[in-house]
Amino acid sequence: MKMDDILLLAYVDGELAPEEQLDVEKAINASADIAERVALLEASQLPYRQAYARQKLPPVPDSLKQKVAALTQAYSLPPNVTMRGTSAVGTGAGVNDPVSADAQSILSRSAPPRSRMRVALPWLAVAFVGGAFCCGIVLRLAPGAISGSSDRSGLQVADSGASPWVRAAASYQQLYSRDTVALDSPSPDVSARTVSNIRHEDGIELRVPDLSSMGLTFKRVQRLRFKDKPLVQIVYLPQEGPPVALCVMKDTKPDATISQQRVDRMDVVTWRQAELSYALIAEPGSANLNEIGKQIAGSSVGAMFSQRPSTGNETTG
Amino acid sequence: MTGAELANLLPQMLPRLWAFALRISGDQHDAEDLVQRACVRGLERAHQLQAGTSPLSWMFSIVHSAWINEVRARNVRSRSGMDWDDAFLETVPDPNTRTPEQNAMDGQIVSAVQRLPEAQRAVMLLVGVEGLSYSEAAEVLDVPIGTVMSRLSRARQAIGALFGGQNEKPLKAAANRKDPGL
Repeated sequence: MKMDDILLLAYVDGELAPEEQLDVEKAINASADIAERVALLEASQLPYRQAYARQKLPPVPDSLKQKVAALTQAYSLPPNVTMRGTSAVGTGAGVNDPVSADAQSILSRSAPPRSRMRVALPWLAVAFVGGAFCCGIVLRLAPGAISGSSDRSGLQVADSGASPWVRAAASYQQLYSRDTVALDSPSPDVSARTVSNIRHEDGIELRVPDLSSMGLTFKRVQRLRFKDKPLVQIVYLPQEGPPVALCVMKDTKPDATISQQRVDRMDVVTWRQAELSYALIAEPGSANLNEIGKQIAGSSVGAMFSQRPSTGNETTG
Repeated sequence: MTGAELANLLPQMLPRLWAFALRISGDQHDAEDLVQRACVRGLERAHQLQAGTSPLSWMFSIVHSAWINEVRARNVRSRSGMDWDDAFLETVPDPNTRTPEQNAMDGQIVSAVQRLPEAQRAVMLLVGVEGLSYSEAAEVLDVPIGTVMSRLSRARQAIGALFGGQNEKPLKAAANRKDPGL
């Protein structure tokens, strides 16, 4: 008599109806193999939860607590903040913030049909739908907190000399692996809308450099916020290794030439140009940031998502 | 659910996510990396969390997927198996309320589960330890519910084989087996 493992498990755990129980008991009596399997299952009725409750596990590391705290802070809303602007993705809005029912429905409509299906494995599914939301995401980067150095940052900026926003962006970038970026690339349409929102809403004359000639593939552009000011993060993937980010913020200070520094464990190249501050961020060894920075600063590379004729030979991504 | 809502829940989930990540990966560095990546992904995709799904199960699912991807990537990079840290097999004795035998049993149970094959261990951890229903575990693992039950049954039989001599019930069953006429 063939009896499957599922039924036997349900029998041992007392989850069968009386008549099914009888069937299994008959089978046990008729088959040594079934009796043995039932015996093993009965022997496995053990206090698992209690045993695991006493398992000696190391405590949650402080570094992890700090990173999660910084992340949650970035996503949590200040209590007095409400929706900013209008809530249409296409026209560019603060849908990043408390997502209202209206905004939610707009987001749903703008997503591919797949996103409305119930998916058992969100991780992979979002690779397809995540893009629809990227244009609206605005994270609130916590100044200095992501690196876990909030207690000392601000007082001792000198250890790397980096501005607080560069430190926050570098710490945030550390959270991204190649997989995170590779699996989540919005469509060119979505990126184009995000760029448009950055230009029109955030008032940043953003030029998205096309770095393909340097082996870097554009993956996405995100609107982040640092101390309530817009911060743009453009992410590229080299052919191998972790992602490279170009972050941009408005800055009225005079232009500054390219300089390289280490922030936490990230290499960072910064410069200032035309009232915009730039930071190229990557793990050490993943790309020649100095050279890439020079190319961008010198406008030696083309631009993507061009909307304005001002920069001439631009290509649409 | 919004990222802000999930963000409010994450700190209290953190100990369970950490324990789960440690138990499936057996390594502190891996576990830290898994939880961190899962939090980033979870927050970015909180809008996908359906009203009927528990946020904790959903986060388990993301941690587990991250781990499976990692295992696959490592298997591609190197044929060597995963290193397991035996320190996590120890349990804390509780001399006040329990006998030394019971304390030893705790350690044996943890050890038996941790040494199961990957897929069976994940099911045992979710159902037996975290208390998820079969359907919740099926969602976390992205497999049919029948697969969850079948893996659980095989896991339990493997564990039962280790514990058979310490329990009277198998003797009863064995007696049945010897005397099919009963």
